Amino acid sequence: MRVLRIHPEKCTGCLRCELACSYMQTGEYQPAKSVIRVSPFEGHTSYAPYTCTQCAEGWCMTACPVGAITISAVGAKEVQDDRCVGCKLCAIACPFGTMFYDPFKCNLCGGAPACAEACPTAAITYEDVETADWLGDFARERTARVLAEAR
Amino acid sequence: MAPRHLIIGGGTAGMNAIRTIREEETERSAITLVSAEKPYSRMVLPYYLDRSIAESHVFTATARVLRDWNVTTHLGKRATALDTNANVCTLDDGTRVEYDDCLIATGSSAVRAPVPGADGPGVHSFWTLDQARGVLAQIQPGSHVVMIGAGFIAFTILNSILSLGAKLTIVEVAPRILPRMIDDTGAGLVQSWLEQHGVAVRTGAKLTQIDEVKNRRRLKMAAGGDLVADVVIMATGIRTNLEWLKTSGVKINQGIVVDERLRSSAPNVYAAGDVAEGRDLITQANAVHAIEPTAQEHGRVAGANMAGKDVRYRGSLIINIVEVCHLDVASFGAWDDAKAETASGVKADRPAYRRLLWRGDRLIGAIILGPSSDIWTTNDVGMLKGLVQSGVALGSWKAHLKKNPFDIKLAFIATKTTGSLLPETILGRPSKAPGETPVAV
Repeated sequence: MRVLRIHPEKCTGCLRCELACSYMQTGEYQPAKSVIRVSPFEGHTSYAPYTCTQCAEGWCMTACPVGAITISAVGAKEVQDDRCVGCKLCAIACPFGTMFYDPFKCNLCGGAPACAEACPTAAITYEDVETADWLGDFARERTARVLAEAR
Repeated sequence: MAPRHLIIGGGTAGMNAIRTIREEETERSAITLVSAEKPYSRMVLPYYLDRSIAESHVFTATARVLRDWNVTTHLGKRATALDTNANVCTLDDGTRVEYDDCLIATGSSAVRAPVPGADGPGVHSFWTLDQARGVLAQIQPGSHVVMIGAGFIAFTILNSILSLGAKLTIVEVAPRILPRMIDDTGAGLVQSWLEQHGVAVRTGAKLTQIDEVKNRRRLKMAAGGDLVADVVIMATGIRTNLEWLKTSGVKINQGIVVDERLRSSAPNVYAAGDVAEGRDLITQANAVHAIEPTAQEHGRVAGANMAGKDVRYRGSLIINIVEVCHLDVASFGAWDDAKAETASGVKADRPAYRRLLWRGDRLIGAIILGPSSDIWTTNDVGMLKGLVQSGVALGSWKAHLKKNPFDIKLAFIATKTTGSLLPETILGRPSKAPGETPVAV
């Protein structure tokens, strides 16, 4: 299956992915409604986008009491708006924190992800690889200063 | 002969078990379902109450779906006895159903406050579909609704009652609202929020009697200040449906004691959901977790084992979330563990609160509260669940979170929690999508 692969070292924090995502998902350029979110690291010296990994368990999907989350033709866990009642069980079940609310989640734009298309530095690519923790190592390196302050 | 599975109870646990048996079995089995009600989702009833969905939307498996799944049904009947020596279940109409293995998933029922008048006209429970119909028929715009009890169930229908144009008063006998879901600080913030949205809240208030007066209800309070209501809803707790098992010989503590495969003391009898006392993920002790996500996971694990797989359950995590007037309120795990090390933070400018609880450098529980419109509230809810569920070692991030309890995301990502969660599945394989007829053989 093709998934969104994040290359955090290439992200410049331009937020074009958020704009493209919100437009594709809602028809509006409104980053607050995007289901990919860019986080700053080390006082805005570096950035990385964060979104659904399309995990194997599909915690959101199995938690949904009305079967409103299914697997789309491209393998994405996808919310069926006409079935969803808005109970938010998916938001509390997803242990990655990648359920949003309106709209709920990444559906890989039906196989043509707008975020990957919009990224000018190829920090987001759509590839046939096993999904993974794309940000962990990067974040560990780029948070040393924050951690030093906590001590 | 094909194995004969008997599922007793058509709620979340039972339906998840049936689906999983059909997904996992290697030999086509005979499945019989006994259920007092047609299978529906209790979680959805608040949205039926506020008329945002039709009644037909609440059902989890229609007669056609059950036929597609090749399930023999006894609907509208209750199991009254289980003979675990003869492997026979007796129903209230005298029907005897033989089984090779069975799942007890009979759930729980609403309990009313034991006061005179509690069973009178205009006094409702809100637990079953039938009870939801009763409440829906009674609430008119301008009705005064008094909710007795301020727990999770009550909170799931607050928005619905308000959106029907009713006036709402909440009465709670405990000193705070949501006493089994959040702490004093959180409850105080939620109460103020509700009052700002026109809801009257009385805590530490004990109801003593309900009288019928000119077609309305007068509620006598122990400390005076009687209330007059058009509709009274008793959300005063639930009791697990276990009485019918007294002679079964199945070991019952707070619930039916089950092992990591959801098996009871009788090896071919499983239990799942509200009636089961299974492993708690955090304490590793047995506990009853009468919540929807536990019923789902129990049902799936029991179903897989009944289908001949060997699936062990790590344990269930207490998780609760409600949204009231666009305020998200959630708690996880050991949020009330008095012995845990804690940190908390409140925002000055809005009702936003985080409370984090640790054992060593692992998060064992959390409370989170914030406006639904805050970009990070919903994501923090999930990440807190992930930190508690994975039990990831936070190392020096613990000190960071103690100083910055709102900075969940950074700690989540940098501790590689994603990597430790990705391999985890409940059934040891990727989940299948709902909506298709699950047929392995």
